[in-house]
Amino acid sequence: MSLSVALFYAFAAFTVISAAGVAFSRNIVYSAFALLGTLFGVAALYVFLGADFVAGAQFLIYIGGVLVLILFAVMLTHRIADGAVSNRAAGGPAALVAVGLVAAVLGRALFKARWPVVDVLADGPTTHAIGDGFLGRYVLPFELASFVLLAVLVGAIVVSRKELRS
Amino acid sequence: MEQLLLPAIDWLAVLPVGLTSILGLVLLALGLFVDDDETLGWITLIGLAVTAVATACLAGQKSITFNGTFALDAYALFFDLLFLVAGIVVVLMSMTYLEGTGIPSGDYYGLLAFAIAGMIVMASATDLIVVFLGLEIMSISVYVLAGAWRTQLRSNEAAMKYFLLGAFATGFLLYGIALVYGATGAFRLDRIATAVGDTPNRTMLIAGVAMLIIAFGFKVAAVPFHMWTPDVYEGAPTTVTALMAVAVKAAGFAAFVRVFLHGFGGLHADWSMLLWVIAALTMTVGNVLALAQRNVKRMLAYSSIAHAGYILVALVASGAAGGTAALFYLLVYSFMTLGAFGVVAALGSVGEPNETLDDYAGIGFRRPLLGVTMTIFMLSLTGIPPLAGFAGKFYVFTAAIREGYYVLAVIGVLNSAISSAYYVRVLIAMYLTPGAEEHGRVARQPYLLTSIVVSAVMTVVVGVFPALWMQLARFGFLSL
Amino acid sequence: MPGVPLQHVLLVGLVLFALGLYTVLTRRNAIGILMGIELLLNAANVNYVAFARYSGAPTDGQIFAIFVVMLAAAEAAVGLAIVLGIYRNFESIDVDATHALRH
Repeated sequence: MSLSVALFYAFAAFTVISAAGVAFSRNIVYSAFALLGTLFGVAALYVFLGADFVAGAQFLIYIGGVLVLILFAVMLTHRIADGAVSNRAAGGPAALVAVGLVAAVLGRALFKARWPVVDVLADGPTTHAIGDGFLGRYVLPFELASFVLLAVLVGAIVVSRKELRS
Repeated sequence: MEQLLLPAIDWLAVLPVGLTSILGLVLLALGLFVDDDETLGWITLIGLAVTAVATACLAGQKSITFNGTFALDAYALFFDLLFLVAGIVVVLMSMTYLEGTGIPSGDYYGLLAFAIAGMIVMASATDLIVVFLGLEIMSISVYVLAGAWRTQLRSNEAAMKYFLLGAFATGFLLYGIALVYGATGAFRLDRIATAVGDTPNRTMLIAGVAMLIIAFGFKVAAVPFHMWTPDVYEGAPTTVTALMAVAVKAAGFAAFVRVFLHGFGGLHADWSMLLWVIAALTMTVGNVLALAQRNVKRMLAYSSIAHAGYILVALVASGAAGGTAALFYLLVYSFMTLGAFGVVAALGSVGEPNETLDDYAGIGFRRPLLGVTMTIFMLSLTGIPPLAGFAGKFYVFTAAIREGYYVLAVIGVLNSAISSAYYVRVLIAMYLTPGAEEHGRVARQPYLLTSIVVSAVMTVVVGVFPALWMQLARFGFLSL
Repeated sequence: MPGVPLQHVLLVGLVLFALGLYTVLTRRNAIGILMGIELLLNAANVNYVAFARYSGAPTDGQIFAIFVVMLAAAEAAVGLAIVLGIYRNFESIDVDATHALRH
């Protein structure tokens, strides 16, 4: 087993354990920091999978943007001191059964599957190809994505405006 | 220098979505300067009407553009017009309803236009990426619209619930698309359709398809993914509820039908079983729970769940008959539901929602116009001939029987019978229950009443002359 | 990558999905639910990138992954704006504590 393979499994384990922290932590602040671990681990997996640009986007947008936003919201809405009740969970056993069922079905699908193995491409930088894609074949989704962001900007402002008109 | 290769673009194909989004931008900008709600409403009306006319002029065109990801065909045009007309009716309702709520008109109408633009994208999308992005444009706008009445706690709560469940559904959609991509190697529906036959990863493909059913099930409010519907429909401003019950649901079905009958047509035997169960559950649970409601707005929410079940029956039947029946039913359902929510809006006022059955006592005599139109909508929703609802159900159940789904058709007919109980209860309240004496003068509601009358006229016209409209639905479906 | 079968990468995605699902189903805190949704989106993304890597045509899957990251940011922005609005009105973001509507 080469070093990179070992590292891959290490990061995979780190990602999964952090995600378990998000799911099971009793304190929402810990959950948020566990989410940081998950996002970081996933970004590392992207690097191993030859997706350097996606990994960069994950770092900048997810960790730099989304997670900071979530932490802000956690801090704004909670008296941090009484962490005990800050992340109430309910219906654990029933949810566990439902999740187990879904995971079992998906797991079966996953391990029964066969893929034509076309390994191994040389891992090169992907940014050029992605940029070409955005302004070429994927120009419509690219424009629609900007539209989504516009709707979000407007929507967030509408929701958080202080006063309605009298 | 390398040449950047842009795909050939047919600009006519993006005309409807382009006009609608420009309208949205204009409204947002005007909202800053124009203080008069009525002016903004009229601008929205004119903008949507112009877009509808331009869209209608595209009839007969057929092309597929943006590298095979965006279609201009009769199917897309059918739905575009449905969304635009529903939008016009909702704007008419809003011009009265927004008075006194303090909801800023520019933002409200702007987001409404954005939502419609997203729906149009969904109806035209022939690629799962585009379906997903259209869905998000629509959903995000509607999350905000549901919470637009910020001084009302229940509007806030509706926005939060709708957002959380919507985002949850998006998670399923994305995971499902990932599995489909893994199994077929494609996002484009035509490529998926060819890959479906000989994929080595059938189990994974079916798991992905099941995930997509869950995701679309949330959007069209099918049981058991309907939990959010009553709370959100009851809490949102009534005009937004009408939009959600009609246009959002129609957009969900537009994408649902195209993706499943076009992309996954080869898997019909697999997904139709799952949809069979969901359709039966949706009809039954929706109708039975509606029986217990005293609040008319909430009852209509359950009724809209039940009607999603009838449309799913058509989808299960599939084929030309089923597909056409689904489109026709959506058309019929749209007008009668818009009208019913219009009446709910007309009876409420700021601070006094007047939504329970007790509030409807004697309305038939106190406000005869509302009484007559509500009677039309309730009877049509029940499926009494010669109203549109009857024609819709007739075509749906005929399609089911033709394809051999006898049990499902029987469940549907039985459900229609159950549903008459709660629709008729509204009529009993309006005409046979003595109401309180008139309290105060009734506000003038010219726009709202116009929207109700338009819906009522359409409900009758489509019911009496179904052939023409059925022909439109058939053109639409066969162009897929 | 050589040495790691695709199944193992997908398994990471599956576990993330299951944990996300569990989080959404059990949490009563709106922000907690949102974190669960982020897990779901990441699960999907791991799959896109993995399929892209092993399919030999990596661009398509990676581009979809970028759209998903974009969407996650978008949903977080709108969602947290809505949640903060609720907090201003209810002083709580426990989804069971908002009693304006019947359950």
